[in-house]
Amino acid sequence: MFRNYVTVAVRNLVKHRLYSAINLIGLAVGLAACILILLFVRNETTYDRFFTDAERIHQVVIRAQLPGRSPDVVASTMVPLGDAMKDAFPEVELRSSMIQQGVTVRGGDRLFSETVFAADPEFLDIFDLAFVEGDRATALRDRSGLVIREEIARKYFGDEPALGRTLTIDGQHDVRITGVMKDLPANTHLRFDILMPIDGPAVRNIEALRTQWGNISATTYVKLRPGVDLAEFNRRFADWSKTAMPEMRSPNGVIRLSDIFTPRLRPLLSINTDPLNTQMRPGTSMREIYTFSAVAVMVLAIASINFMNLATARATQRAREVSVRKVVGASRGQIVSQFVGESVLLTLIGLLLAMALVELLLPAYSAFLGKELAFDYGDPGLVGMLLGLTLIVGVAGGTYPAFFLSAFNPAAVLKGASSGVGGGSGRLRMALVIVQFAISIALMVATAVVYGQFLYAQNKDLGFDKENVVVLEGLSTRAMREKARPLAEQIAKDGRVAAVSATGITPGTFDESNTNVRMPGRDSSELLVIRSEVVDFGFFETMGMNLVAGRDFDRDRGTDIANRPEWLRPGGQRPPGTPENFEIPASVILNESAVKRLGFSSNEAALGQSYNASAGQGVSFKFTVIGVVQDFHFRSVRDPIAPAHFFVDPTQFDAVAVRIKPGDIEGALGAIDAAWRDFFPDTPTQRVFLDDRIEQLYAQERQAATMFAAFSGLAIVIACLGLFGLASFTAERRTKEIGLRKVLGAGVSDIVRLLVWQFSKPVLLANLIAWPVAWYGMSRWLESFTYRIDLNPLLFVGAGMTALAIAWITVGLHAAKVAQAKPIRALRYE
Amino acid sequence: MLKLVNLSKVYRTEEVETTALNGVNIHVRDGEFVAVMGPSGCGKSSLLNIVGMLDTPSSGEYWFDGEEVSKYSERKLADIRKRNIGFIFQSFNLIDELTVFENVELALLYHDIPARDRKERVKAALDKVKISHREGHLPQQLSGGQQQRVAIARAVVSRPKMLLADEPTGNLDSANGDEVMHMLTELNGEGTTIVMVTHSMPHAQYARRIINLFDGQVVAENLRAA
Ligand SMILES: Nc1ncnc2c1ncn2[C@@H]1O[C@H](COP(=O)(O)OP(=O)(O)OP(=O)(O)O)[C@@H](O)[C@H]1O
Ligand SMILES: [Mg+2]
Repeated sequence: MFRNYVTVAVRNLVKHRLYSAINLIGLAVGLAACILILLFVRNETTYDRFFTDAERIHQVVIRAQLPGRSPDVVASTMVPLGDAMKDAFPEVELRSSMIQQGVTVRGGDRLFSETVFAADPEFLDIFDLAFVEGDRATALRDRSGLVIREEIARKYFGDEPALGRTLTIDGQHDVRITGVMKDLPANTHLRFDILMPIDGPAVRNIEALRTQWGNISATTYVKLRPGVDLAEFNRRFADWSKTAMPEMRSPNGVIRLSDIFTPRLRPLLSINTDPLNTQMRPGTSMREIYTFSAVAVMVLAIASINFMNLATARATQRAREVSVRKVVGASRGQIVSQFVGESVLLTLIGLLLAMALVELLLPAYSAFLGKELAFDYGDPGLVGMLLGLTLIVGVAGGTYPAFFLSAFNPAAVLKGASSGVGGGSGRLRMALVIVQFAISIALMVATAVVYGQFLYAQNKDLGFDKENVVVLEGLSTRAMREKARPLAEQIAKDGRVAAVSATGITPGTFDESNTNVRMPGRDSSELLVIRSEVVDFGFFETMGMNLVAGRDFDRDRGTDIANRPEWLRPGGQRPPGTPENFEIPASVILNESAVKRLGFSSNEAALGQSYNASAGQGVSFKFTVIGVVQDFHFRSVRDPIAPAHFFVDPTQFDAVAVRIKPGDIEGALGAIDAAWRDFFPDTPTQRVFLDDRIEQLYAQERQAATMFAAFSGLAIVIACLGLFGLASFTAERRTKEIGLRKVLGAGVSDIVRLLVWQFSKPVLLANLIAWPVAWYGMSRWLESFTYRIDLNPLLFVGAGMTALAIAWITVGLHAAKVAQAKPIRALRYE
Repeated sequence: MLKLVNLSKVYRTEEVETTALNGVNIHVRDGEFVAVMGPSGCGKSSLLNIVGMLDTPSSGEYWFDGEEVSKYSERKLADIRKRNIGFIFQSFNLIDELTVFENVELALLYHDIPARDRKERVKAALDKVKISHREGHLPQQLSGGQQQRVAIARAVVSRPKMLLADEPTGNLDSANGDEVMHMLTELNGEGTTIVMVTHSMPHAQYARRIINLFDGQVVAENLRAA
């Protein structure tokens, strides 16, 4: 029996090669797309699983609600929080705070700039990272110890063992390698090369950081004891934080940090699917995961519909077989299971082809995503999911045709010589084609909107000119920072350089400082927090930023520099006898958002106005507004522009921005590197092009948009494949009719028009479904962008026309061929 | 074997009602060979479909082997049909994708017969209709007469008590038609009840009784001398 089914199925496949090919290709491509998305989704949703007790590990995140800014959740905390919460909550079994530091590392004759993470020793108790040398339990418990990755070990020591060797940090602190970790697997959100104990000698400024509750620069992990209810814990955690966070007093008033910051725990396992600014590695949001899963389902739905459509269309050709089977005793159930089985068999073949496609595409796909995706045949979950998928598609695609076929009345079918039965399901087939095209058109619109928004973001006027700007970074120590301006001046002497400025801020980075401003004559209990950034003379010119009112900072005016006394620098002590209301006068430039935030009626109205802001140690700046700079994007255009002011404070620079004249870029870079070496012979240059850095902000979005477009394109191709099959089927079935029409005088174009029109109707109707759905969905999607494109109705018309054109080409090609055949052949057909 | 009592069949379509059979009373005994004749459209095929349980009557009784089956479900009818009735059609109705052997075997597949027995029985049936030498061929590679012989083999391989044939010689030339008739007679001789529809008077002569239908009614029954 089974053999007989297989025989018939296989011979049918071979006999109707075109249909079989369309079905198989459609299924294989659809399944392959589905599997690729499945692998992506599975990879993204299983990050960090491999850590022991992963479900008990959590990260502290902070919801920051700065007055006048939209709330922001960041994966950073204050250094003192970890210890404080461990003391307060017995549920916290382990905790580790870590901070990031740029350093130079020398090992023998090798010298590199590195980013080091300084962590509490418990970090390695929380995360059981694999070690190749040394003991994980004790590696961070040696104050002058250092843990490095295998790759870093090779960088400094080649193939020799690294354990026990010495490295010199920042040219002055000798540390000993106490552990070598295996390189981190791809599926963890952790990203670091070097770990050192947070109380180690090379950690800068840690004593101050331990007291600074307003400084959000640490990453904190905790491991909870078993059985803690997270929601309930987070409620108590938030309540506790209100009293645990101190008030900050300054001459400008009291800031209650608990009004601004609310901490909570988020599970380690959700970090990758809940990406926040400042986490070690960008993740993929659940929204993206759902979107791609939905695309996968739609691609598969389109392939299944092809399958169903072609199977029912062809059903008429198998009516005789079904009837004969019934006559010789087959029950309806047996017929149904035969056809469902056939459909599952076809899907299985499709799955095999799909697997081959997946293996073929996986390397390129992994490279594109920057992940290590692999199809693990030994993963029962994955294999089970695939077989389940196949069964669902096979059964879904086969059930309708099976019931349709098994319902034939054998007496009617077997009566005549012709095995044809009126295509009673023609209307349903058209309905399914409408659904397919509705999905395709909606996906086309979605792709266009996603890409349009992406291009818009990419090409939006950022408020500065990102081309030809090089940023020198890594001025990590105080000594280096103080040489920023002289370095800039040195670089400026080169003729290939257009403009240079030292700076404390570069667009595209996430560091920010904020200050509370006190306006004279305003209620001091109102918090006016704005970003407070430091720049040097010529910064706006170097960056190509526009002043929209007032003037730029001027080297020749003494008050344009905020002259910080020596004791106001990090580590200094206010000398006794300093006047109570000591003020440092300084000029300040606002951005347009700050003009609004501070309540000035216009840019011009802000000029000449004064306000106060804390300078630390009870001292105030007295700022006077001299100019207004056009709003520019500090980060991605996804983020709203924060109100900010800028002033000149030569003690705070940590980078130098250089605008190079177009032409001899290589030469200019050479000159810059030479100047750097003159100033910092012991530190390798760290320079980035500003446009690369900005580009990186959109890398994830570009990738998502490309992926979305690729899979939508696939869906459309598969839908067209189905339409092609259906058109050729119809043309074949109408061969006799077409022959007759030609005998009666119809021309080729009449026939083509006849068939093309038949398939235009469903595509036109599909628009009626697709447009409102796409409109609603994409409006919702765009709402998440602060700066966004409008939905252009032309986009919808365009998608509809494209679908129609594709349908026409598909059907028209076929129709022309059929119409050109000699009528006699058509008539002899039966 | 079967008894039809006051049996009627009305086809209802959206526009018209066609009475194909109107109060038919027919009795066929075990082992009989009956021919049904009549002008086109008089209801012959409708009658055969009901007798073959491919269709159900609109009213009246249908007694088959002592059971009144006119109200039986499709599933139950299919079961009785499978065990008792074989069909031969004017247009052969062989499955194009299957070989001669496989076409015949098909009739046994729904019968729970072990593969070895199946093979033997198919071979025996093919021998009987003298087509064994073509068992590996596809239907299109055979002449009409050969195809009909395969169809007969398929009809008898499951050893039905009754054979229904709707114009089995309609598509064949006279030589092939005669051969088919000889085979049917032979089968009847072995005890199989046969009901055959035909337009050919000479072929009807092979039967022992001829039923004439006109406008859905039995107008004459001629019992021929054996
Ligand atoms: N499925 C059907 N639906 C509607 N009417 C039908 C159907 N089948 C048959 N009829 C009608 O019932 C009547 C009897 O048809 P039937 O096929 O039984 O005739 P017949 O005697 O076999 O004719 P022929 O010798 O041409 O095969 C005809 O008028 C026919 O139009
Ligand atoms: Mg008939």
